[in-house]
Amino acid sequence: MTSSSTQSRKVLSKIAQNRLQKELAEWQLNPPPGLKHKITDNLQRWVIDVSGAPGTLYANETYQLQVDFPEHYPMEAPQVIFVPPAPLHPHIYSNGHICLDILYDSWSPAMTVNSICISILSMLSSSTSKQRPPDNDRYVKNCRNGRSPKETRWWFHDDKA
Amino acid sequence: MEKQEEINSNPGADWENFRDDDIMLQHSAIRDEQAHKILFLGDKEPLSALAAEYQSGSSILLEKIKLLDEKYCAIRRTRGDGNCFFRSFMFSYLEHILETQDKAEIDRVKVNVEECRKTLQSLGYADFTFEDFFALFLEQLESVVQGADASISHDELVERSRDQSISDYVVMFFRFVTSGEIRKRSEFFEPFILGLTNATVDQFCKSSVEPMGEESDHVHITALSDALGVPVRVVYLDNSSCDTGGVSVNHHDFVPCSLSNDGSSGLEINPYITLLYRPGHYDILYPK
Repeated sequence: MTSSSTQSRKVLSKIAQNRLQKELAEWQLNPPPGLKHKITDNLQRWVIDVSGAPGTLYANETYQLQVDFPEHYPMEAPQVIFVPPAPLHPHIYSNGHICLDILYDSWSPAMTVNSICISILSMLSSSTSKQRPPDNDRYVKNCRNGRSPKETRWWFHDDKA
Repeated sequence: MEKQEEINSNPGADWENFRDDDIMLQHSAIRDEQAHKILFLGDKEPLSALAAEYQSGSSILLEKIKLLDEKYCAIRRTRGDGNCFFRSFMFSYLEHILETQDKAEIDRVKVNVEECRKTLQSLGYADFTFEDFFALFLEQLESVVQGADASISHDELVERSRDQSISDYVVMFFRFVTSGEIRKRSEFFEPFILGLTNATVDQFCKSSVEPMGEESDHVHITALSDALGVPVRVVYLDNSSCDTGGVSVNHHDFVPCSLSNDGSSGLEINPYITLLYRPGHYDILYPK
Protein backbone atom coordinates (compact mmCIF):
# COMPACT_ATOMS: atom_id res chain seq x y z
CA MET A 1 0.00 0.00 0.00
CA THR A 2 2.94 2.35 0.82
CA SER A 3 1.25 5.65 0.13
CA SER A 4 4.54 7.51 -0.08
CA SER A 5 5.70 5.61 -3.12
CA THR A 6 2.88 7.14 -5.11
CA GLN A 7 3.96 10.67 -4.21
CA SER A 8 6.74 12.44 -5.98
CA ARG A 9 9.56 12.43 -3.50
CA LYS A 10 12.12 15.16 -3.47
CA VAL A 11 15.72 14.33 -2.77
CA LEU A 12 17.05 14.99 0.69
CA SER A 13 18.57 18.38 1.39
CA LYS A 14 22.24 18.48 2.36
CA ILE A 15 21.36 19.07 5.99
CA ALA A 16 18.94 16.14 5.94
CA GLN A 17 21.49 13.81 4.37
CA ASN A 18 24.16 14.85 6.82
CA ARG A 19 21.86 14.44 9.79
CA LEU A 20 20.58 11.01 8.65
CA GLN A 21 24.09 9.72 8.14
CA LYS A 22 24.86 10.68 11.74
CA GLU A 23 21.65 9.11 13.02
CA LEU A 24 22.45 5.93 11.14
CA ALA A 25 26.02 5.80 12.50
CA GLU A 26 24.72 6.33 16.04
CA TRP A 27 22.06 3.65 15.53
CA GLN A 28 24.66 1.14 14.35
CA LEU A 29 26.94 1.99 17.27
CA ASN A 30 24.16 1.72 19.87
CA PRO A 31 21.32 -0.30 18.36
CA PRO A 32 18.17 0.24 20.46
CA PRO A 33 16.85 -2.99 22.04
CA GLY A 34 13.92 -4.61 20.23
CA LEU A 35 14.58 -2.65 17.03
CA LYS A 36 16.53 -3.73 13.99
CA HIS A 37 17.34 -1.50 11.07
CA LYS A 38 17.63 -3.33 7.77
CA ILE A 39 20.75 -2.16 6.01
CA THR A 40 20.04 -0.73 2.57
CA ASP A 41 21.67 1.96 0.51
CA ASN A 42 18.50 4.04 0.67
CA LEU A 43 19.02 6.79 3.24
CA GLN A 44 15.58 8.26 2.52
CA ARG A 45 13.61 5.16 3.52
CA TRP A 46 14.43 3.10 6.57
CA VAL A 47 12.76 -0.23 7.24
CA ILE A 48 12.91 -1.26 10.88
CA ASP A 49 11.93 -4.57 12.48
CA VAL A 50 10.08 -4.06 15.73
CA SER A 51 9.99 -6.98 18.16
CA GLY A 52 7.24 -6.95 20.79
CA ALA A 53 8.78 -6.71 24.26
CA PRO A 54 8.76 -9.87 26.41
CA GLY A 55 5.91 -9.96 28.89
CA THR A 56 3.65 -7.72 26.77
CA LEU A 57 0.72 -8.55 24.47
CA TYR A 58 3.11 -8.41 21.50
CA ALA A 59 5.82 -10.73 22.84
CA ASN A 60 7.28 -13.01 20.15
CA GLU A 61 5.70 -10.94 17.38
CA THR A 62 7.67 -8.91 14.86
CA TYR A 63 6.38 -6.02 12.78
CA GLN A 64 7.92 -3.73 10.22
CA LEU A 65 8.07 0.05 10.43
CA GLN A 66 8.67 2.07 7.29
CA VAL A 67 10.18 5.50 7.84
CA ASP A 68 10.27 7.95 4.90
CA PHE A 69 12.19 11.18 5.22
CA PRO A 70 11.10 14.44 3.59
CA GLU A 71 13.45 16.84 1.81
CA HIS A 72 13.67 19.10 4.85
CA TYR A 73 14.11 16.53 7.58
CA PRO A 74 14.50 17.19 10.52
CA MET A 75 12.56 20.46 10.24
CA GLU A 76 9.74 18.34 8.83
CA ALA A 77 8.60 15.13 10.47
CA PRO A 78 9.34 11.79 8.84
CA GLN A 79 6.39 9.68 7.69
CA VAL A 80 6.19 6.60 9.87
CA ILE A 81 3.85 3.69 9.17
CA PHE A 82 3.67 -0.02 9.90
CA VAL A 83 3.97 -2.16 6.81
CA PRO A 84 0.75 -4.26 6.88
CA PRO A 85 0.00 -6.54 8.61
CA ALA A 86 0.14 -3.88 11.34
CA PRO A 87 -0.05 -4.83 15.01
CA LEU A 88 -3.56 -4.99 16.48
CA HIS A 89 -3.62 -1.91 18.68
CA PRO A 90 -6.25 0.73 19.61
CA HIS A 91 -4.15 3.47 17.96
CA ILE A 92 -2.87 1.63 14.92
CA TYR A 93 -5.04 1.37 11.81
CA SER A 94 -5.06 -1.75 9.66
CA ASN A 95 -3.40 0.19 6.81
CA GLY A 96 -0.42 0.81 9.11
CA HIS A 97 -1.14 4.44 10.02
CA ILE A 98 -0.29 5.29 13.61
CA CYS A 99 -2.11 7.80 15.82
CA LEU A 100 0.74 9.29 17.84
CA ASP A 101 1.17 13.04 18.32
CA ILE A 102 4.97 13.15 17.97
CA LEU A 103 4.65 11.91 14.39
CA TYR A 104 2.61 14.96 13.44
CA ASP A 105 1.95 18.24 15.32
CA SER A 106 4.33 17.53 18.18
CA TRP A 107 7.29 16.53 16.02
CA SER A 108 10.49 18.42 16.80
CA PRO A 109 13.97 18.30 15.29
CA ALA A 110 15.10 17.45 18.83
CA MET A 111 13.67 13.97 18.21
CA THR A 112 15.35 11.21 16.24
CA VAL A 113 14.34 8.03 14.41
CA ASN A 114 15.61 6.22 17.47
CA SER A 115 13.42 8.17 19.91
CA ILE A 116 10.36 7.78 17.67
CA CYS A 117 10.81 4.01 17.37
CA ILE A 118 11.20 3.74 21.15
CA SER A 119 7.96 5.70 21.64
CA ILE A 120 6.15 3.37 19.25
CA LEU A 121 7.56 0.31 20.99
CA SER A 122 6.48 1.70 24.35
CA MET A 123 3.03 2.42 22.92
CA LEU A 124 2.81 -1.29 22.03
CA SER A 125 4.14 -2.39 25.40
CA SER A 126 1.60 -0.38 27.38
CA SER A 127 -1.38 -1.68 25.41
CA THR A 128 -3.95 -3.63 27.41
CA SER A 129 -6.06 -4.88 24.52
CA LYS A 130 -5.39 -6.09 21.02
CA GLN A 131 -7.95 -4.30 18.92
CA ARG A 132 -8.27 -1.78 16.11
CA PRO A 133 -9.33 1.84 16.61
CA PRO A 134 -13.16 2.04 16.62
CA ASP A 135 -13.13 4.08 13.38
CA ASN A 136 -10.74 1.77 11.57
CA ASP A 137 -12.87 0.78 8.56
CA ARG A 138 -14.02 4.29 7.76
CA TYR A 139 -10.52 5.76 8.14
CA VAL A 140 -8.87 3.10 6.01
CA LYS A 141 -11.51 3.55 3.31
CA ASN A 142 -10.76 7.30 3.27
CA CYS A 143 -7.09 6.56 2.74
CA ARG A 144 -7.57 4.31 -0.29
CA ASN A 145 -6.32 6.99 -2.66
CA GLY A 146 -2.92 6.67 -1.06
CA ARG A 147 -3.24 9.51 1.42
CA SER A 148 -0.27 9.94 3.72
CA PRO A 149 -1.00 9.88 7.46
CA LYS A 150 0.70 13.28 7.58
CA GLU A 151 -2.27 14.68 5.65
CA THR A 152 -4.73 13.41 8.23
CA ARG A 153 -6.08 15.89 10.71
CA TRP A 154 -5.38 13.92 13.84
CA TRP A 155 -7.26 14.63 16.99
CA PHE A 156 -5.39 13.55 20.09
CA HIS A 157 -7.75 13.21 23.02
CA ASP A 158 -5.19 12.49 25.69
CA ASP A 159 -2.15 10.33 26.17
CA LYS A 160 -4.33 7.27 25.63
CA ALA A 161 -5.69 8.39 22.27
CA MET B 1 -7.59 9.16 16.52
CA GLU B 2 -8.52 10.76 13.28
CA LYS B 3 -10.73 13.82 13.58
CA GLN B 4 -13.60 13.33 11.15
CA GLU B 5 -14.08 9.69 11.87
CA GLU B 6 -13.96 9.96 15.60
CA ILE B 7 -17.28 11.80 15.62
CA ASN B 8 -19.21 9.12 13.81
CA SER B 9 -17.83 6.21 15.70
CA ASN B 10 -17.95 7.56 19.21
CA PRO B 11 -21.47 7.27 20.56
CA GLY B 12 -20.48 9.45 23.52
CA ALA B 13 -19.65 12.45 21.37
CA ASP B 14 -22.49 14.94 21.25
CA TRP B 15 -23.07 17.22 18.33
CA GLU B 16 -22.58 20.33 20.37
CA ASN B 17 -18.96 19.43 21.00
CA PHE B 18 -18.45 18.27 17.48
CA ARG B 19 -19.35 21.67 16.15
CA ASP B 20 -17.03 23.49 18.54
CA ASP B 21 -14.15 21.19 17.69
CA ASP B 22 -14.84 21.45 14.03
CA ILE B 23 -15.11 25.23 14.10
CA MET B 24 -11.89 25.36 16.08
CA LEU B 25 -10.11 23.33 13.44
CA GLN B 26 -11.59 25.46 10.69
CA HIS B 27 -10.47 28.59 12.47
CA SER B 28 -6.96 27.30 12.83
CA ALA B 29 -6.95 26.34 9.16
CA ILE B 30 -8.05 29.87 8.23
CA ARG B 31 -5.42 31.33 10.54
CA ASP B 32 -2.74 29.19 8.91
CA GLU B 33 -3.84 30.34 5.49
CA GLN B 34 -3.86 33.99 6.54
CA ALA B 35 -0.52 33.65 8.23
CA HIS B 36 1.12 32.48 5.04
CA LYS B 37 0.10 35.60 3.19
CA ILE B 38 2.33 37.62 5.53
CA LEU B 39 6.11 37.45 5.22
CA PHE B 40 8.10 35.88 8.06
CA LEU B 41 9.29 39.42 8.65
CA GLY B 42 7.70 42.59 7.30
CA ASP B 43 9.16 45.97 6.36
CA LYS B 44 9.64 48.73 8.90
CA GLU B 45 6.38 50.67 9.11
CA PRO B 46 5.54 53.93 10.90
CA LEU B 47 3.36 53.60 14.00
CA SER B 48 0.53 55.22 12.05
CA ALA B 49 0.21 51.88 10.25
CA LEU B 50 -0.60 50.31 13.60
CA ALA B 51 -3.19 52.99 14.39
CA ALA B 52 -4.77 52.43 10.97
CA GLU B 53 -5.56 48.84 11.99
CA TYR B 54 -7.81 50.08 14.79
CA GLN B 55 -9.36 53.08 13.03
CA SER B 56 -12.88 51.81 13.48
CA GLY B 57 -12.10 49.91 16.65
CA SER B 58 -11.38 50.39 20.31
CA SER B 59 -10.70 53.92 21.48
CA ILE B 60 -8.58 52.57 24.34
CA LEU B 61 -6.22 50.98 21.83
CA LEU B 62 -6.04 54.15 19.75
CA GLU B 63 -5.20 56.16 22.86
CA LYS B 64 -2.52 53.69 23.81
CA ILE B 65 -1.02 53.82 20.32
CA LYS B 66 -0.86 57.61 20.72
CA LEU B 67 1.17 57.06 23.90
CA LEU B 68 3.41 54.58 22.12
CA ASP B 69 3.99 57.18 19.46
CA GLU B 70 5.80 59.35 22.02
CA LYS B 71 8.49 56.75 22.59
CA TYR B 72 8.51 54.58 19.50
CA CYS B 73 8.83 55.47 15.86
CA ALA B 74 8.23 52.26 13.97
CA ILE B 75 6.97 48.69 14.01
CA ARG B 76 8.14 45.65 12.05
CA ARG B 77 5.61 42.87 11.84
CA THR B 78 6.29 39.16 11.95
CA ARG B 79 4.20 36.29 10.68
CA GLY B 80 1.71 34.94 13.23
CA ASP B 81 2.80 31.34 12.85
CA GLY B 82 3.58 30.58 16.49
CA ASN B 83 7.26 31.43 15.99
CA CYS B 84 6.82 35.21 16.12
CA PHE B 85 8.59 35.74 19.45
CA PHE B 86 11.68 33.80 18.40
CA ARG B 87 11.72 35.34 14.93
CA SER B 88 11.35 38.87 16.33
CA PHE B 89 14.14 38.16 18.79
CA MET B 90 16.38 36.80 16.03
CA PHE B 91 15.99 39.79 13.76
CA SER B 92 16.16 42.41 16.52
CA TYR B 93 19.30 40.90 17.97
CA LEU B 94 21.14 40.48 14.67
CA GLU B 95 20.04 43.93 13.51
CA HIS B 96 21.40 45.41 16.74
CA ILE B 97 24.77 43.72 16.22
CA LEU B 98 24.86 44.79 12.58
CA GLU B 99 24.17 48.41 13.49
CA THR B 100 26.42 48.68 16.55
CA GLN B 101 29.23 46.31 15.46
CA ASP B 102 29.59 45.63 19.18
CA LYS B 103 32.49 43.13 19.22
CA ALA B 104 32.40 42.77 23.01
CA GLU B 105 28.75 41.71 22.84
CA ILE B 106 29.53 39.16 20.12
CA ASP B 107 32.30 37.65 22.24
CA ARG B 108 30.03 37.64 25.27
CA VAL B 109 27.11 35.95 23.53
CA LYS B 110 29.40 33.32 21.98
CA VAL B 111 30.47 32.28 25.47
CA ASN B 112 26.81 31.88 26.41
CA VAL B 113 26.09 29.89 23.24
CA GLU B 114 28.89 27.48 24.17
CA GLU B 115 27.37 27.21 27.66
CA CYS B 116 24.04 26.32 26.05
CA ARG B 117 25.75 23.64 23.98
CA LYS B 118 27.20 22.10 27.14
CA THR B 119 23.82 22.31 28.86
CA LEU B 120 22.18 20.30 26.07
CA GLN B 121 25.01 17.76 26.10
CA SER B 122 24.76 17.29 29.85
CA LEU B 123 20.98 16.88 29.52
CA GLY B 124 21.64 13.94 27.18
CA TYR B 125 20.82 15.50 23.80
CA ALA B 126 22.83 13.90 21.01
CA ASP B 127 25.10 16.48 19.37
CA PHE B 128 23.72 15.78 15.92
CA THR B 129 20.22 16.87 16.98
CA PHE B 130 21.25 20.47 17.66
CA GLU B 131 24.68 21.14 16.10
CA ASP B 132 23.38 22.21 12.66
CA PHE B 133 21.10 24.77 14.30
CA PHE B 134 23.92 26.14 16.46
CA ALA B 135 26.22 26.37 13.45
CA LEU B 136 23.60 28.26 11.46
CA PHE B 137 23.05 30.81 14.22
CA LEU B 138 26.79 31.39 14.69
CA GLU B 139 27.12 31.80 10.94
CA GLN B 140 24.46 34.56 10.97
CA LEU B 141 26.20 36.21 13.91
CA GLU B 142 29.53 36.22 12.05
CA SER B 143 27.97 37.52 8.87
CA VAL B 144 26.55 40.69 10.43
CA VAL B 145 30.08 41.68 11.46
CA GLN B 146 31.27 43.97 8.70
CA GLY B 147 34.56 43.82 6.89
CA ALA B 148 34.78 40.09 6.17
CA ASP B 149 34.17 38.26 2.90
CA ALA B 150 30.98 36.76 4.26
CA SER B 151 29.63 40.03 5.64
CA ILE B 152 26.05 40.88 4.78
CA SER B 153 24.19 44.17 4.47
CA HIS B 154 21.03 45.15 6.33
CA ASP B 155 18.97 44.27 3.26
CA GLU B 156 20.54 40.84 3.15
CA LEU B 157 19.76 40.32 6.83
CA VAL B 158 16.11 41.10 6.08
CA GLU B 159 16.20 38.67 3.15
CA ARG B 160 17.72 35.91 5.24
CA SER B 161 15.13 36.43 7.93
CA ARG B 162 12.50 35.85 5.27
CA ASP B 163 14.23 32.78 3.87
CA GLN B 164 12.72 29.71 5.47
CA SER B 165 15.89 27.65 5.09
CA ILE B 166 17.73 30.11 7.35
CA SER B 167 15.01 31.75 9.41
CA ASP B 168 13.37 28.55 10.65
CA TYR B 169 16.73 27.03 11.56
CA VAL B 170 17.63 30.03 13.70
CA VAL B 171 14.19 29.87 15.33
CA MET B 172 14.88 26.22 16.09
CA PHE B 173 18.28 27.15 17.55
CA PHE B 174 16.48 29.45 20.01
CA ARG B 175 14.00 26.68 20.82
CA PHE B 176 16.87 24.35 21.72
CA VAL B 177 18.50 27.03 23.87
CA THR B 178 15.19 27.81 25.61
CA SER B 179 14.41 24.16 26.29
CA GLY B 180 17.92 23.53 27.62
CA GLU B 181 17.68 26.47 30.01
CA ILE B 182 14.25 25.44 31.32
CA ARG B 183 15.40 21.86 31.87
CA LYS B 184 18.66 22.92 33.48
CA ARG B 185 16.82 25.14 35.97
CA SER B 186 13.70 23.01 36.19
CA GLU B 187 13.15 23.77 39.89
CA PHE B 188 13.02 27.48 39.11
CA PHE B 189 10.72 27.13 36.11
CA GLU B 190 8.43 24.39 37.43
CA PRO B 191 5.99 26.65 39.36
CA PHE B 192 5.62 28.98 36.34
CA ILE B 193 4.94 26.04 34.07
CA LEU B 194 2.39 24.60 36.50
CA GLY B 195 0.67 27.98 36.43
CA LEU B 196 0.29 27.74 32.65
CA THR B 197 -0.53 24.09 32.10
CA ASN B 198 -0.77 20.87 34.00
CA ALA B 199 2.41 19.61 32.43
CA THR B 200 5.70 18.54 33.95
CA VAL B 201 8.83 20.43 32.91
CA ASP B 202 9.76 17.62 30.53
CA GLN B 203 6.28 17.48 28.97
CA PHE B 204 6.22 21.28 28.63
CA CYS B 205 9.57 21.37 26.84
CA LYS B 206 8.60 18.50 24.56
CA SER B 207 5.18 19.84 23.64
CA SER B 208 5.41 23.65 23.99
CA VAL B 209 9.04 24.60 23.39
CA GLU B 210 10.78 22.15 21.07
CA PRO B 211 8.18 21.77 18.28
CA MET B 212 8.11 24.58 15.69
CA GLY B 213 4.98 26.73 15.71
CA GLU B 214 4.35 26.48 19.45
CA GLU B 215 3.65 29.93 20.85
CA SER B 216 5.85 31.58 23.47
CA ASP B 217 5.00 33.32 26.69
CA HIS B 218 6.89 34.62 29.69
CA VAL B 219 8.47 31.23 30.49
CA HIS B 220 10.08 31.03 27.05
CA ILE B 221 11.16 34.69 27.12
CA THR B 222 12.67 34.41 30.60
CA ALA B 223 14.57 31.26 29.67
CA LEU B 224 15.95 32.58 26.38
CA SER B 225 16.89 35.92 27.90
CA ASP B 226 18.67 34.20 30.81
CA ALA B 227 20.44 31.63 28.64
CA LEU B 228 21.86 34.15 26.18
CA GLY B 229 22.21 37.00 28.68
CA VAL B 230 20.17 39.33 26.48
CA PRO B 231 17.60 41.66 28.10
CA VAL B 232 14.23 42.00 26.36
CA ARG B 233 11.54 44.66 26.79
CA VAL B 234 7.96 43.64 26.05
CA VAL B 235 5.41 46.42 25.60
CA TYR B 236 1.82 45.31 26.12
CA LEU B 237 -0.95 46.62 23.90
CA ASP B 238 -4.37 45.39 24.95
CA ASN B 239 -7.82 46.66 25.84
CA SER B 240 -7.19 47.02 29.56
CA SER B 241 -7.50 50.36 31.31
CA CYS B 242 -7.14 51.63 34.87
CA ASP B 243 -10.18 51.96 37.15
CA THR B 244 -9.74 55.70 37.08
CA GLY B 245 -10.29 55.63 33.36
CA GLY B 246 -6.73 56.68 32.68
CA VAL B 247 -4.85 54.88 29.95
CA SER B 248 -1.23 53.85 30.17
CA VAL B 249 0.95 51.43 28.28
CA ASN B 250 2.67 48.83 30.43
CA HIS B 251 5.90 47.14 29.66
CA HIS B 252 7.96 44.45 31.30
CA ASP B 253 11.73 44.09 31.12
CA PHE B 254 13.10 40.58 31.07
CA VAL B 255 16.50 41.06 32.67
CA PRO B 256 18.80 38.05 32.47
CA CYS B 257 19.73 36.67 35.89
CA SER B 258 23.41 37.15 35.01
CA LEU B 259 22.82 40.91 34.87
CA SER B 260 20.46 41.28 37.81
CA ASN B 261 22.56 39.15 40.21
CA ASP B 262 25.99 40.60 39.68
CA GLY B 263 25.68 43.44 42.18
CA SER B 264 25.08 46.10 39.59
CA SER B 265 21.43 46.24 40.60
CA GLY B 266 21.57 50.02 40.90
CA LEU B 267 22.40 50.15 37.22
CA GLU B 268 19.61 50.95 34.81
CA ILE B 269 19.31 48.24 32.19
CA ASN B 270 18.16 49.38 28.81
CA PRO B 271 17.12 46.44 26.65
CA TYR B 272 17.95 46.91 22.98
CA ILE B 273 15.32 44.38 21.96
CA THR B 274 11.81 45.82 22.26
CA LEU B 275 8.82 43.76 21.27
CA LEU B 276 5.20 44.78 21.00
CA TYR B 277 2.86 42.18 22.46
CA ARG B 278 -0.75 42.02 21.43
CA PRO B 279 -2.62 39.00 22.85
CA GLY B 280 -1.18 36.01 21.02
CA HIS B 281 1.39 37.85 18.93
CA TYR B 282 4.77 39.62 19.04
CA ASP B 283 6.10 42.25 16.62
CA ILE B 284 9.25 44.38 16.77
CA LEU B 285 9.13 47.97 18.05
CA TYR B 286 11.72 50.67 17.30
CA PRO B 287 12.37 53.31 19.99
CA LYS B 288 12.82 56.92 18.91
